[in-house]
Amino acid sequence: MRIIVFVKQVPDTDKVSVDGEGRLVRSGAPAVMDAYSECALDMACGLAGDGDEVIAASMGPPGARAALLRCLELGAGEAFLICDPAFAGSDAHATATVLSAFAMEIAPGADLILCGKQASDGDTAEVPPELAEKLGAPQFCYVEDIRIEGGSMLLVQNYGDELRACRHPLGALAVASVSKGGANRRLPSVSAYLRAAAMEIKTVDAAALRLPEGAAGARGSKTRIASTMASGAGRRGEAVDGSDPALAASAILRGMAP
Amino acid sequence: MSDRCGAGGCGERLPPGMLEAFDLGSPAADGALVWLEVTGGPEPEISQSSLEVLGKAAELGAGRVFGMMFGGSALRPLYGEAFSRGADTVYHIRDGRLSAFHPEAYCEAARDLAERIRPSVILMGATPRGRELAPRLASALSAGLTADCTGLRMEGGSLVMTRPAFGGDLIADIVCEGRPQMATVRPGVFPAPPPAPGRKGTAICRGYGGSSLKDIAHSAPVPPDGGDISRAKVLVSLGRGAASREALEAAESVAARLGGMVSCSRALVDRGLLPQSRQVGQSGRSVRPDVYLAFGISGSVQHKAGMRLAKRVIAVNKDPDAPIRDDADLFIEGDALSVLRELDKALRSPL
Repeated sequence: MRIIVFVKQVPDTDKVSVDGEGRLVRSGAPAVMDAYSECALDMACGLAGDGDEVIAASMGPPGARAALLRCLELGAGEAFLICDPAFAGSDAHATATVLSAFAMEIAPGADLILCGKQASDGDTAEVPPELAEKLGAPQFCYVEDIRIEGGSMLLVQNYGDELRACRHPLGALAVASVSKGGANRRLPSVSAYLRAAAMEIKTVDAAALRLPEGAAGARGSKTRIASTMASGAGRRGEAVDGSDPALAASAILRGMAP
Repeated sequence: MSDRCGAGGCGERLPPGMLEAFDLGSPAADGALVWLEVTGGPEPEISQSSLEVLGKAAELGAGRVFGMMFGGSALRPLYGEAFSRGADTVYHIRDGRLSAFHPEAYCEAARDLAERIRPSVILMGATPRGRELAPRLASALSAGLTADCTGLRMEGGSLVMTRPAFGGDLIADIVCEGRPQMATVRPGVFPAPPPAPGRKGTAICRGYGGSSLKDIAHSAPVPPDGGDISRAKVLVSLGRGAASREALEAAESVAARLGGMVSCSRALVDRGLLPQSRQVGQSGRSVRPDVYLAFGISGSVQHKAGMRLAKRVIAVNKDPDAPIRDDADLFIEGDALSVLRELDKALRSPL
């Protein structure tokens, strides 16, 4: 079985600071692999047995190598950085175009493509279904578990109000977005670190993906940011000393009145 | 943007061999198509979020409002409800098999419908299923899509979609290149329109001729855990600084007395103290209560993204530099658990 895991590198938002005007200061915030991406990779490694391949790939700037190195440490067999200046400014549509080209040109014949449910920076959750449609494959979102049973995969999805399991024949491509870590979660061993450090992270660009000019990046996008403004920062109101809990409680009750 | 195709039609620009123009970028595109998500098994109803979207679609003034629904003949009683809430035409893709959610089949049928009626705008609630179906349909139609919008308006034929970006510290206005223009709409942001009894419309039934059905082996409802925090008027919310059984008990008691619910940040979910459905934030729910009481919540960017729309925020934290202070109308520097207990005591004693 060939499994492709698309991962995303995001700024570590726990470490993003806020300046005096309430704006985010992102420079200097370390980049980390998105938590749901890690769930997806984890699930892939848990599913893969002997002879199965786990291919990790990330579309992003050269800095996304860090996430890919982490994928190799966690058990991916191969890692690809999908990187080209022409990809800058891609929206979900353009991103799905690039990732589908990767799945067709670089890692054809995959049985399963896994992505994280959504990424903490963009939070659109649009790429997996867009990718599935482009590849003509069925999609499974909010996947919490995948089991192999006989000749099929059983994918367990959690819609919040419904838990369901769908059967999908092995050998036909499925695209899943993962919302929970597999049972595989573990720290990499020292030998895994050493093995990963010796492995190559290959880079693929627009030409390698046979993408025509303008297919990706801002030109290949279907949405455009017209304007941005800082949101309601400045709510910052009165601060009260709460060293006496009883006084603090009455301050809350007063403060609740409109 | 909308003049990709001149007033004379797209005919002369068609690539050789293409018989019919499916150019939804045409300015002829008109109207708003809304997915009417149906909930409930034997007695189906149109979901609250779909009613909200329907109301917003009617208010946009983008032309006629088309509803589309999927399922068997049990949906027939819902036509009247859809008309009464703003739909002019309801397209019912009638097939009993589609009463379960099949995103591939829904997408196929919705694409055929959109190619026929050429809506300018396609909207869905940003529910888990709406957020799964919308991108597939956007891809099938090569349409732009903005997820989880908190504002929508028309500007000269263009749909301007507002959504929080970067965890809510920025608000972005986004527009689509071409038509249709697609958005999912955050539940609970727009009011559901009041019913207009007697309002009439047209219902059109079509069959589903495709075969993109999933093999659903099991399906079971997840029992509701006592309500939906995204609709609560008062939330007593707990974070890392109040991640204990004692705090949870006090919070439940306070919430009960205030007619509200208990919500939390990720810390409590990670510790198994509350289910994920109670989590506020980017990976949890977005809430908009009248009062948000934050106990021991430091206010990570992800958390703040989910509570920005609260009318009033009161935060208790022992760290005076906690980021939540910037988002609190009233900030109390103190121990979350002690203050919570005192608040519980104060609400118990009749004064």
